[in-house]
Amino acid sequence: MTTGLSFSHVSKRFTVQHDRARSFQDLMLRMLQRQGRHLPRESYWAVNDLSFDIKGGETVAIVGNNGSGKSTSLKLMTRILTPTRGTVDVRGRVSGLLELGAGFHPELSGRDNVYLNGALMGLKKRDIERRFDEIVAFSELERFIDVQLKFYSSGMAMRLAFSIAVSVDADILLVDEVLAVGDPAFQVKCLHKIHEIMQEGVTIVFVSHDLDAVQSLCQRAVWLDRGRMMMDGECGEVLDAYVASAQEEDQDVQIL
Amino acid sequence: MLTRIREVYAYRELLGILVMRDLKLRYKNSVLGFLWSLVNPMLLMLVFTIVFTVMIPNLSVPKFPVFVMCGVLPWNFFSTAVTSSILSVSHNGHLIKKVYFPLEVLPLSTVLANFVNFCLAFIVLFGMILVFGVPITPAVSLLPVVMLIHLMFTVGISLLLSTLNVFYRDTGVIMEVLLQAWFFLTPVFYPMEMLPEWAHIAGLLLPVRRLLYMLNPMASIVASYRSILYGSTVGTAAHIPAWDFTLRTALTSAAFLAFGLWVFGRFRQRFAEEV
Ligand SMILES: Nc1ncnc2c1ncn2[C@@H]1O[C@H](COP(=O)(O)OP(=O)(O)OP(=O)(O)O)[C@@H](O)[C@H]1O
Ligand SMILES: [Mg+2]
Repeated sequence: MTTGLSFSHVSKRFTVQHDRARSFQDLMLRMLQRQGRHLPRESYWAVNDLSFDIKGGETVAIVGNNGSGKSTSLKLMTRILTPTRGTVDVRGRVSGLLELGAGFHPELSGRDNVYLNGALMGLKKRDIERRFDEIVAFSELERFIDVQLKFYSSGMAMRLAFSIAVSVDADILLVDEVLAVGDPAFQVKCLHKIHEIMQEGVTIVFVSHDLDAVQSLCQRAVWLDRGRMMMDGECGEVLDAYVASAQEEDQDVQIL
Repeated sequence: MLTRIREVYAYRELLGILVMRDLKLRYKNSVLGFLWSLVNPMLLMLVFTIVFTVMIPNLSVPKFPVFVMCGVLPWNFFSTAVTSSILSVSHNGHLIKKVYFPLEVLPLSTVLANFVNFCLAFIVLFGMILVFGVPITPAVSLLPVVMLIHLMFTVGISLLLSTLNVFYRDTGVIMEVLLQAWFFLTPVFYPMEMLPEWAHIAGLLLPVRRLLYMLNPMASIVASYRSILYGSTVGTAAHIPAWDFTLRTALTSAAFLAFGLWVFGRFRQRFAEEV
């Protein structure tokens, strides 16, 4: 089976939270006030008509301003979200780090969380057992592994999450914005690990505002702006265009 | 729906870990904690025994404390499992937003963790049955079947309500009231035979007893437990309920389970954006 993933005309709409009754109490009040039906349904296209094709083994960055739909795109890739329109085709097993604290439970120990997290990713217990030492060794958290997760610093939690995510043997690895909280030494270690995984032929989708890291890892980049595709191409070119547009915006602001 | 069930089955280890997580968090890992789950039914037993044999002896129903426990334990399992699973989806947003997995395991694991407790409580109930000298008959072999029917119904309701709570966050508050009413409409503290067969309600002649059995699956479930563990209030020993009664109860529970799975499956895709 060839791995990889493709988006074809994918759009994701979120309906804005305040336009709907959130509780029965709300619902009842609205029915009394007879306004339930007249509220406008405000909606927002977080991802708008996005099409691209990532082949197996490629390393692709997604860049863009805050709120441009990067995390939403990754969630569509993992099937956590389903597209409002279009189709997402994912070929292969997906593992990923979506923002911080990848599905940990604060009351459980690091050890229990490794098992919980592994099972959430669909691993069998013996698979986790086999990888356990490797996971702990990579995270360098041997001394804290039986401590409850709520006593971890955010960097420590990230270390554990990253170590689990890269040990899953996925075909596609999604990394969203997580390296930022690691200390420099660990960041370097992570980037090395990602390089290593790249060599194994794993497809990687990398989201980061650290453009140097993006430059060093990826051959290709996709630039999103307010949910739309601005550019898709060779990493250096896309980053240059993105940075140029950001500077332009900055100048506009200064003129105003 | 079959693909959903298959996917849940593929994640059965996750289910196991989540059940263990629930139990661990409740008992904080201790062995004593595990025994802790016996304390609650034991206290109940003590209270009922004292209240109903010493303070207000109920003479119309023989061995009333056993009679009550046969209804209270199943009801308590149902109501605590439902109450805690209502929040099982909406409180696990941190998981749902980060990893893809079949979300059915969330209410399912909550119910199962409570089911483990329920099973342990039977130790107390059987102790009580021995102490009171209620004869144990072969009918008790039907217990696993009744428990399975009970479990199916509880899971069905939990799937429905946990879905509802994602969209309407006060489902729990409303259910608290409804469960109270439901409790009184279930023959936990009174024998079904106490209800009149027919009664005039709002000018209509209604078959009250039949209606209650039909509209309230918990009534049939409690009646089944009682029939195989306690017998009847007029003193017949424990016996297997009529097969068509058991079949009807089983089909009702299966229907609720199927409906719950269907509703959950239909709205599941929106959970990650709503929680
Ligand atoms: N569950 C949700 N309900 C409503 N709106 C949402 C939801 N999730 C995301 N959005 C909206 O979708 C848009 C895109 O968000 P997204 O998280 O994809 O941005 P991003 O590119 O990852 O930004 P950042 O660089 O800050 O991480 C934002 O405007 C956000 O408000
Ligand atoms: Mg983001």
